[in-house]
Amino acid sequence: MITLPPSEHDLHAYVDHQLGVTDRQRLEAWLAEHPETRAIVTAWQRDAQQLRAAWSGNLHAAPNPALDPMAVARRVRGQRARRMAQAAVLVVAVGAGAVGGWQARGPVEVRVAAAPMTDALQAYRMFAVQGILPADYTAVGGAGVQAWLDRYFSQAQRLPDLSAAGFEPRSARLLNTDQGPAAMVVYENAAGQRASFYVRPPGPGYHMLPRGSRRDGELQADYWSDPSYNYAMVSAVGLPSRAVLERAVGEGI
Amino acid sequence: MTDLNDELRELLPRLRRFALSLTRDSHNADDLVQATLERALSRWTGKRAEGDLRAWLFSILYRRFIDGHRSAQRYARMLQLFGGRDDPLPSAERTVMAQAGLGAFERLKPEQRALLFAVTVEGLSYQQAADVLGLPIGTVMSRLSRARKALHQLTEGEITRPAVRIYK
Repeated sequence: MITLPPSEHDLHAYVDHQLGVTDRQRLEAWLAEHPETRAIVTAWQRDAQQLRAAWSGNLHAAPNPALDPMAVARRVRGQRARRMAQAAVLVVAVGAGAVGGWQARGPVEVRVAAAPMTDALQAYRMFAVQGILPADYTAVGGAGVQAWLDRYFSQAQRLPDLSAAGFEPRSARLLNTDQGPAAMVVYENAAGQRASFYVRPPGPGYHMLPRGSRRDGELQADYWSDPSYNYAMVSAVGLPSRAVLERAVGEGI
Repeated sequence: MTDLNDELRELLPRLRRFALSLTRDSHNADDLVQATLERALSRWTGKRAEGDLRAWLFSILYRRFIDGHRSAQRYARMLQLFGGRDDPLPSAERTVMAQAGLGAFERLKPEQRALLFAVTVEGLSYQQAADVLGLPIGTVMSRLSRARKALHQLTEGEITRPAVRIYK
């Protein structure tokens, strides 16, 4: 039940037909005796009426076929399928090599495969060699890549400075691995040769790596750990500047 | 799902109209409606048909508008910073809405347009409007009061403005 004289709230509620029958009648009786307030309320009612009339024509706009629910649902299904396909490529390609027992044992009992940082090599093949995956970040200068990496990996080592070997950070990509999210930064020199810096958490088994190096087909990987993450530097075997890269990585640790 | 599609189809003109009241541009309005429907359909599995479908869709649409509007504002500020440009109204639509007698309405702030539209044109209750716009009911009331007074002032201005405007 409203009180009289009415509050402004009550007057708006009257204009917007949001008062009960009794309140409505009481307010109308009161307004009949208060012409100044009555004039304000009438003006608001007129404005509201005009607004409704002006917008009524818009309900009959020409239909837009792109907005039909069937068409929208088709697009939503397509987007979903594309996203799932993308995610599947990553998990299969990175997971298959890195953790042999993963599919059989399920994601909890992770057993890291004998060869360390196989995922770094897989990621390098997909991203830097075959170009299957698009970059998440493309650099203009080295400072940008570092800032990008810091957004995802706090307290990770600084990107190694490979400028002595002519390599600058160019692009970066986030990856999903069964050990957790990983990031790869790809360096490139003037000749278009590439090397990658790879970071990921040690995984649920907290598997830290002794410093080491190994060859896998045409690729060479150096790997190491610090208290927070596992790292790898991957590049092609026989890269002339390989020694300079190794030194730079060694200094970064 | 077929039933949902029918319901959505029926609400489509209202969604487009609400989107137009916010964006003031029919292309942007339809983009906004499309994004709203995509969101609604991808979330539908977890949502039962209980409650007011119109209010639910309106709230998704408004949320998306606000998010887009914020980034557009940031972009506009940036443009202004670099080129001194400021283009607050889509000029072609201005005529369309002005011709429809909505010249005063389109000059209100977006959040005032949204509320007046929801309450006056769509006839939502104050509580429904609060839910759609994501506001406490007290804010709805104070904003409604300001919006209504601003609209009235602008409407008076519109009426007394010289008729020369038509020939522009």
